[in-house]
Amino acid sequence: MEDESATNSHDSICPICLGPLTQDSYLDHCLHKFCFNCILRWTKVVSSKHQTPPSSVKCPLCKTDNFSIIYGLDGTSFQRHYINTNLQDCFVLSKGHRFRLQCYYTQQGFLEDIFNISLYWKSRKYNQPNNWLRTWLTREIQALTQEEDVDIIVHHISGVVKPLWTSKEQKLLTKEPEKIQEEFMMSVSEAARPFLGARTDRFVHEIQLFLASGLNIEAYDAVYIQRLGWSSPGVNTEVSQNELIDRTTVIPYLYIFDDDSDGNE
Amino acid sequence: MQASRARLFKEYKEVQREKTADPDIQLVCDDSNIFKWTALIKGPSETPFEGGIFQLAFSVPEHYPLQPPQVRFLTKIFHPNVHFKTGEICLDILKTAWSPAWTLQSVCRAIIALMAHPEPDSPLNCDSGNLLRSGDVKGYQSMARMYTRLAAMPKKG
Repeated sequence: MEDESATNSHDSICPICLGPLTQDSYLDHCLHKFCFNCILRWTKVVSSKHQTPPSSVKCPLCKTDNFSIIYGLDGTSFQRHYINTNLQDCFVLSKGHRFRLQCYYTQQGFLEDIFNISLYWKSRKYNQPNNWLRTWLTREIQALTQEEDVDIIVHHISGVVKPLWTSKEQKLLTKEPEKIQEEFMMSVSEAARPFLGARTDRFVHEIQLFLASGLNIEAYDAVYIQRLGWSSPGVNTEVSQNELIDRTTVIPYLYIFDDDSDGNE
Repeated sequence: MQASRARLFKEYKEVQREKTADPDIQLVCDDSNIFKWTALIKGPSETPFEGGIFQLAFSVPEHYPLQPPQVRFLTKIFHPNVHFKTGEICLDILKTAWSPAWTLQSVCRAIIALMAHPEPDSPLNCDSGNLLRSGDVKGYQSMARMYTRLAAMPKKG
């Protein structure tokens, strides 16, 4: 806004290029602010000086060790770039994870004619335990948080789902299905929001979709993928249906995994 | 290349704006080449360099500020961490400890600090380093002062 004013606070100036910040990013420990491209380039320079690239970078300003760059902050969610994701101890998303993450970039609701969520609640199918939910939750949350160890979150969320299947069955039968669904959505949302941020609402939708399908993960994925390739408004149309079905390709617009984003070197 | 040029322009503007901010440092950019700079720095007080004006030459690399600038003394100086013949400077921030948050101005400040606090254990000028390491502070100071007078002070008369 007032970039030209000489007394402009140092807050909006990147210490590396000395220009106005573009794509504000923070180092995860000291929270010093840089342009995303500036700090990314610097971490690459530092890495290239070591035989085995270090998993941390010292802040150019305060020399604190930092392990990731936080960027794309929009008030409710953010992206995270780990300094060296090719290290063995780092978690790398599998194709399955990437596929699930990609689903979150599509428009909600294109599967509802196959997996009918409201029917699931109305017909009280929620009484039947779903043996695959835990595995599904693990993959889903790993994909969304890009962390490997999500046991605690999975435990937390499945703890919210389980009462549907067990203890309060009698009590649940006396309630309206809509009411039960509403309560379910509320409590899942509450449990997941601290970890999933802005993606929570979509997650609450996806978990119901999976439960409503009554399918195991393989079958569920197969149907999902087929529909994605068949008519999906949010998906890059350059990806052919075949590629999606055999899942051999990485979805191209998921650029956040692409490390070589600095074009002018 | 473009990034380094843009950054150097920012530094140039900053130097113009704050000319009086640090009276000990006078940074000048080459008229025709923004990758070449010279600086005049005042020898810090209470050191054998007091009263001297020392000239530094900066050569800025293409990938600046991801790579450090090359700096050397143009003025002869007797200091353990400066090569007596070439003026090369042994200073960690110009090598391994470089950070892109440093500027040419702050490098000058670091060099002034190095003048006041020599590191005799990593000498480029062994004679100077040996004097300090053997505890002959007086000998070091008088040598350093002599060269300051000879090389870094305006000739009288």
